[in-house]
Amino acid sequence: MSAVAASPRRPRVTLRAATAVLSLVGVAVAGYLTWVHYAGLEPFCVGGGGGCERVQSSEYAELLGVPVAVAGLAGYLALLGSLALPEELSRMTAGFLALTGAAFSLYLTYVEIVEIHALCQWCVVSAVLMVALAGVSVARLSRTPSA
Amino acid sequence: MSSRVQQKDAARKRREAIEAEERRAGQRRGARRRLAIIAAAAVALTAGAVTVSRLSQEDAVAQPDAVSQRFAGLPQDGIRLGSPSAPVTLVEFADLQCPFCGAYARDVLPTIIERYVRPGKLKLELNLLTFVGEDSVKAGRMAAATTAQDRFWGFTDAFFAAQGQENTGYVTDDFLEATATAAGADHDAAAGDDATADRVLEQAQTAADRLGVSSTPTFFLRRGHDETPLKIDDLTVDTFTAALDAALR
Repeated sequence: MSAVAASPRRPRVTLRAATAVLSLVGVAVAGYLTWVHYAGLEPFCVGGGGGCERVQSSEYAELLGVPVAVAGLAGYLALLGSLALPEELSRMTAGFLALTGAAFSLYLTYVEIVEIHALCQWCVVSAVLMVALAGVSVARLSRTPSA
Repeated sequence: MSSRVQQKDAARKRREAIEAEERRAGQRRGARRRLAIIAAAAVALTAGAVTVSRLSQEDAVAQPDAVSQRFAGLPQDGIRLGSPSAPVTLVEFADLQCPFCGAYARDVLPTIIERYVRPGKLKLELNLLTFVGEDSVKAGRMAAATTAQDRFWGFTDAFFAAQGQENTGYVTDDFLEATATAAGADHDAAAGDDATADRVLEQAQTAADRLGVSSTPTFFLRRGHDETPLKIDDLTVDTFTAALDAALR
């Protein structure tokens, strides 16, 4: 009986867990970039090449005076926080945050490639995480309440 | 009798099934509508953020090619160039008429920007002094006024590229206008901005007096509040970068 009752809830629980895991990884990535920004350090870049430093020291690294890394950290923390909200509000909040984050991450990746001519590996990882979070959030939103 | 009960039961089940299907369809429509509204809100917010990001780059894009390529993507704030979070500042004192300052700007500075400023290791600060002659004052005032437009580095770069003989009167209004145009600066606005010109040149002179600067170019490295002279034997790329590497180690 208990197995039958738990079955419909499993996809929802899995999607919430996926949101939590992806957001936690995002907090780690954006937190690291925020730390190196304020500590005045160079981000560790696999294979060298200086792409991370070039991107992080560019004019695009700030939006209205706020470092993009800080905005990303706030976004991931908000996504984590959204899981504490009632289910319906949680799905809508996470969907809005993740879709916005994914769209802006894709814009920043375009800027890195086309205008700065350098790729920051940490930013690429963050963009992938945001796109994955957007996918998970859309899946959560697409489910009917009884699903 | 039994047959009528069975028929009513079957009809009830069909009705319930239809109602359940209608309920599910309504829920699916609601989910799709919610998703569309949220996606539209996300697109609107992203479009706003992208617009803000583009507007802050617009001026840099409007600069002439040579200037915009050298400083492309580098933050400029008044007399400073480079990431505000760079741990060390290379403080320079220069006179726009000083030939050694011009040689440094033309031959060494591009390497400093690419090797140290772009990677975020160093930010630059250029303090203009005006002691060589009247042309220094005219040029210095115009350059200082372009700090209000964040075109100071483009202006000094263009000026040093076209630098003439000291005190020959080559710093005419036309020369300054052409230099401002090359830097993507608004010449008329800069020419009328006496307040900014006075303030920036006074701050440079005050800093020079405090640090005992007696010739140009003179360099210091600033870490926090600590300012130490950077001794350079001759103004070549190799000598300068060797001295910088040793100081930054």
